[in-house]
Amino acid sequence: MKAKTKIYIFCVSLIICLLSACTNSDLEQIMENEAEQQDETNSEMKATEETEEEQSDSHASIEPRQGGTLTYGMIAEPKMFNELYSDDSASSDVEINLFDGLVQVGPNMEVEPLLAKKWDISDDGLVYTFTLKEGVKFHDGEELTAEDVAFTFGIFKDDDYTGPRAGSFEYLADVRAVDEYTVEFRLSEPDARFLTLAGYGILPEHILGDVPVEDLGNHPFNTKEPVGTGPFRFVEWQAGQYIKLEAFEDYHQGRPYLDHLIYKFVPDQNALMSQLEAGDVDMMVIPATEIDMAQQWDEDGKIKLHAALGQQYNYMGFNLRLDLFKDKETRQAITHALDREAIIEHVVMGQGEIAHGPVSPLSWAYTDKLPRFEYDPDKAKALLAEAGWEEGEDGILERNGQRFSFALSTNQGNKVREELTVVIQDQLAEVGIEVQPNLMEWNAFIESITPPQNDFEAFISGWSLGADPDPRDIWHSDEIEQGLNSVGYSNPKVDQLIDKNIHLIDQEERKKVLEDIFVTIADEQPYTFLYYPYELTATPRHMRGFAQHPQLRFYKAHEWWLDE
Amino acid sequence: MIGYILQRSLMAVPILIGISILTFAMMHLAPGGPTALLVDPTISPEAREAFLERYGLNDPLPVQYFKWAGAAIQGDLGYSLIYTGTPVSEMIFSRLPNTLLLMSVSFLLALFISIPLGIQAARKPYSLTDYSMTFFSFVGVATPNFWLGILLIMWLSVHLGWFPTGGVATIDAPLNIWDRIHHLILPAFVLATADMAGLTRYVRSSMLDVLKQDYMRTARAKGFREITVIYKHGLKNGLIPIITLCGFMLPSFFAGSVIVEQVFSWPGIGHLFIQAVFQRDYPVIMGITMMTACLVVLGNLLADICYALVDPRIEY
Repeated sequence: MKAKTKIYIFCVSLIICLLSACTNSDLEQIMENEAEQQDETNSEMKATEETEEEQSDSHASIEPRQGGTLTYGMIAEPKMFNELYSDDSASSDVEINLFDGLVQVGPNMEVEPLLAKKWDISDDGLVYTFTLKEGVKFHDGEELTAEDVAFTFGIFKDDDYTGPRAGSFEYLADVRAVDEYTVEFRLSEPDARFLTLAGYGILPEHILGDVPVEDLGNHPFNTKEPVGTGPFRFVEWQAGQYIKLEAFEDYHQGRPYLDHLIYKFVPDQNALMSQLEAGDVDMMVIPATEIDMAQQWDEDGKIKLHAALGQQYNYMGFNLRLDLFKDKETRQAITHALDREAIIEHVVMGQGEIAHGPVSPLSWAYTDKLPRFEYDPDKAKALLAEAGWEEGEDGILERNGQRFSFALSTNQGNKVREELTVVIQDQLAEVGIEVQPNLMEWNAFIESITPPQNDFEAFISGWSLGADPDPRDIWHSDEIEQGLNSVGYSNPKVDQLIDKNIHLIDQEERKKVLEDIFVTIADEQPYTFLYYPYELTATPRHMRGFAQHPQLRFYKAHEWWLDE
Repeated sequence: MIGYILQRSLMAVPILIGISILTFAMMHLAPGGPTALLVDPTISPEAREAFLERYGLNDPLPVQYFKWAGAAIQGDLGYSLIYTGTPVSEMIFSRLPNTLLLMSVSFLLALFISIPLGIQAARKPYSLTDYSMTFFSFVGVATPNFWLGILLIMWLSVHLGWFPTGGVATIDAPLNIWDRIHHLILPAFVLATADMAGLTRYVRSSMLDVLKQDYMRTARAKGFREITVIYKHGLKNGLIPIITLCGFMLPSFFAGSVIVEQVFSWPGIGHLFIQAVFQRDYPVIMGITMMTACLVVLGNLLADICYALVDPRIEY
């Protein structure tokens, strides 16, 4: 019994830590608890935000102060510092401070210049010309040139490149340095996603230029001596303990105010919270289970809590291969039967907004035209009757001799999702649908919902969306056999529109096509879109210059400073 | 003696082979695999396939096992699948000293606390001391490590500020013995509690037997001081079963350290192991299991040798 409890506790903490994987421009399955936030009511959260603004206003006149160390507590340990090869969010959190890219995604998901001063896109959308800032230095003092950029992106196109990102650059035909500060990318076909892809951290050619590409993934550069152009430079990595960075004096946007940045690894969630309370950790992401405590500490003045909508949504996916979920009336009825407002209120303490479709309200591609399936049990019953469901002997609906009963899987240890299964079970029972919650260990869960197994009926999960709204990875029927379209959604019209969307350079034109896709998908309800969660971050009370970013935890960290 | 050690070492070989086969089989029976974490859609199926191919994960299991075993015999434990490019042995050996430090200190702590307590309980059986000792032993056995650890962190570290909240040393501070000890106290104590409690009970019952022996009476009759009687004549005999027990305690210390390291952010192999299990980092799981198995076998051998040292009647 004792052993079992221990194992369970580890599931809780580990799922949070190991399974996060969020790089700046990708979308991925969210498995971390931190993705689902819970808190008090919406209004209270807004109040927090307002006071925050007031404070930053009142301090706007104060001159930022240089100095100090910020300790960021994290559960998972990074794997390496090279964006071309890493695939976990812990690594990204460090990489963003070590490496700058040509561009960066801003808080409103728009592309901002970083190492590039400006860029031009040819009329046919095939040639991207970036002009670099001059005088940008690598941490070892060498100057950044167009050769470094061409070298970095050339790696993606190398046949020996074994990292995870090759697929992103399928339309990149060629990249070359035109002169010292100009670099030109040629595409084989117009690719509207390209600008967001251009944000990968630039690697120094003068260090890695002679390394064969097949050896790059395992090169000591990645773990022992990373050199980039970012605001902080690498000092040391004590395995299992911490990573230390120091301010880079010659940073091209000015020396960071903080002297040191320490990433401390605390594998246990409870211990991490204690460290925050004791002040051994200054900053961390507050997970769903700990909101009450964090709110209390915020009131006590121990920390400052920041809340903002994350670039994510949580959903219940149906296995469309099954007769049970074949018709859209049935799926729409399920959504009608769910009181998502109450779910947000009780499961995540109001820390979220109802989701209506597969796109985040933060994206420029978001549309108000998404059909809404409000909470309406009577309508749900009517729709179910229309779809041929009749009440059986035991009160559970039946159709052609099949009882409306299904297993709702999710990963064990994610308390919010565990609770969701129970609440959904309860609410669907009202309309005569039987749900059996099925909690699974993470690996087993993922295996059951991915091809070739696809052995599930319905599941609860979440998506962390990329900066570019291209819906291909989740919704194109090509992704059913080997990909993330695990529910098996297939609509030739949507397929065709998805194929078209990435080649539309004009954003307005593309937006219309995307709108068509999102509205169609939302109408067919292959998922019940549950809610967009808020993300919460604790920072030191006296830290200024911090602005929560929907994706990048260390966005503009060189502007953070400690006022004391 | 030498012959005995050799014989025992030879006997360890089939045990270790058995453990490696069992671990290998169970690890592969568990659903998912190292690629289950590669859920990022930009990782193409081809890249995934290439990953499996590169690390030989597409081979039939027996082939994989023999490849692993062949390399392991030569001291090559392979490379981590998650921290690509890092040798497993490097990962283990960079953390093993931390775990051994924690375990040995806890072990000594458990011995130094439970032996006097057990003796005290045995000297006055069924007294108030004895009953309270029994009570606390049961509480100690029944208290889960992680719970006790978190409780102590909250109370002694966060509220009273007496101890650090975790880690092996203050970040960035120069090497300082007191700082290291300061960080060691809480985790070592927590790890020691469960075994301490059991050990006290064993010492008590073993000493209870010894105290009734004729030679104890003889020793007292000779006029030795009570302390000499108990600790020199009594303890030496009472320790014999305890030594065997210490050998058995080793695996439980390894198991306990997994939890304690997690709670106290202690960068040891227990923490590494948990991480490897969840990420299905097969070579690391195998490496740590085999390392632990070797240490346990070695620990038991040492216990048996000590046995002979304490008890002159035993000869190998």
